[in-house]
Amino acid sequence: MAPKSILKTPTVSTNAPLSSSTKPVTQRQRNTAIYHANIISQQKNVENEVLEAILTLLDFPASPDADPSRPSAPDALRFQELIMPFQPSDYDSLLEERNLNGSCGYALCPRPKRRAPSTARKHFRDTTKGVEIVDKKMLEVWCSDDCARRALYVKVQLNEEPAWIRQGGASEKIELMVDNAEEHHNALPLRLKRETAKATPKILHDDEDDAAAAWAARDDALADLAIERGEKPGRLSKANKDLITAQIKERVGNAPPVPPSLPSQTMGPSHMAIEGHIPGSAGRAVPVSDEEEDDDTQDWDKHLPG
Amino acid sequence: MDSGETYSASLIRLWRVYRTTKEMCYDRGYDVAEEDMKLTLQDFAARYMREDGEPDRSKIHFSAIPSEAMMKKYTPIPTAKDPDPTPQIGTIWVEFNADENVGLKQLRDYMQHLVNGAYYSGVMVCTKAMTGMALRLLRGSSSLAEGPKGGVEVFVEQDLLVNITKHELVPKHVLLSSEEKKQLLVRYRLKETQLPRIQVTDPVAKYLGLRRGQVVKIIRKSETAGRYASYRWAI
Repeated sequence: MAPKSILKTPTVSTNAPLSSSTKPVTQRQRNTAIYHANIISQQKNVENEVLEAILTLLDFPASPDADPSRPSAPDALRFQELIMPFQPSDYDSLLEERNLNGSCGYALCPRPKRRAPSTARKHFRDTTKGVEIVDKKMLEVWCSDDCARRALYVKVQLNEEPAWIRQGGASEKIELMVDNAEEHHNALPLRLKRETAKATPKILHDDEDDAAAAWAARDDALADLAIERGEKPGRLSKANKDLITAQIKERVGNAPPVPPSLPSQTMGPSHMAIEGHIPGSAGRAVPVSDEEEDDDTQDWDKHLPG
Repeated sequence: MDSGETYSASLIRLWRVYRTTKEMCYDRGYDVAEEDMKLTLQDFAARYMREDGEPDRSKIHFSAIPSEAMMKKYTPIPTAKDPDPTPQIGTIWVEFNADENVGLKQLRDYMQHLVNGAYYSGVMVCTKAMTGMALRLLRGSSSLAEGPKGGVEVFVEQDLLVNITKHELVPKHVLLSSEEKKQLLVRYRLKETQLPRIQVTDPVAKYLGLRRGQVVKIIRKSETAGRYASYRWAI
């Protein structure tokens, strides 16, 4: 007979498959795991999407004689679509990659980037605030100040939030700074640049109305689609509702709030109060308490026998 | 050796990088000529120096074919379905990139070159760190259809100036073949998940080009036992 071990006999041998040794997972644990796994996979998809978009935008625009101020409608639309999942940092990467490629940072501009006046690492630059010392790289990002303005106009509209946690991402639309907004109408009208609208308000007025109508129609259609998908308006479409079980109740006050006030120290015999109650003899001076005292005496009389 | 000729700093740097790269290929098991690893600075300058004293990076690229032992090591265990498995290794192409900054475009061109040349894997040595987006592409490249089968590795010249495995405090790392790995697991009655781990981004793991799931044997000096071997599972 083999010697008996003094150690506790383990219920599960160490070589047994892992699943049997762990506690049975509850449905809630499983839901949580799936929820987080979904988030990670969404994140990965978005990152890949951004990478693909940057690869495409590297060789943008297709034709070498495209004009950044008047991009063709398909180019502009494609750019707007591709830029949608970007964060500002992704946009910076796009600029970096395009510059490494030797082209202007603005994706709708086919021209090469500007060359700095010399190969020195730092350069002087005159600004309104005086002379600034800037990196050579900073000077060589754009082909012109105009392009810089256009590109940064796009950048400030990008959402800081990463695309995988954005809510209802389809609703937002990136505007471009373009001079030929009319040509983009057939695809989807761009919201017009304000300066041009101001300069020639009469001619553009009808166009503007058309654009607004088209946008409204598109928004309506998107809302219809969302309802068709079974979403409620204003709800995150991919949210897992199972994990949120708590009911949130707002405490709403029905009376307007009143600031607290101190009992007046000067008038009334507050110094006589014993835990807020003013004994009878002293209370007579105050008219309000006076009535109460009278009531009390009447009541007292009523209950007297006889 | 005797000449008082001085070489430019960049040439000396590249010479050291070149030697480390050759040693790295040798340590991984590729066929590398002995004299390449022991190339002197004079010979290196004679071969690869341009007239202005700077190194000519475009001439230094080389390819290496795996040795017999390496082929064997990288061959998976034959199974009933696949009785004659092909080794998971092939010719490697090492390129020294001369561009100041390596971005998506350079990396994509390099991958295209690897695929066109039917290389199994590639090593790119660049002067500075790559851009963030290029790193992202590299991370996804093993699953990408366009890249080479064995993947692409990127090193920065700075990291290859010294051969880290020659350092006194770095123990010897030996890659186990899948056959040896199986025996190890049987011998110690382990599952591979029960082994200690090593990251594939570990400097030595990068040097050896470890892939996920491989096991390395680490042999250290021990005061009490003489030598002490431990095993790490690359993740």
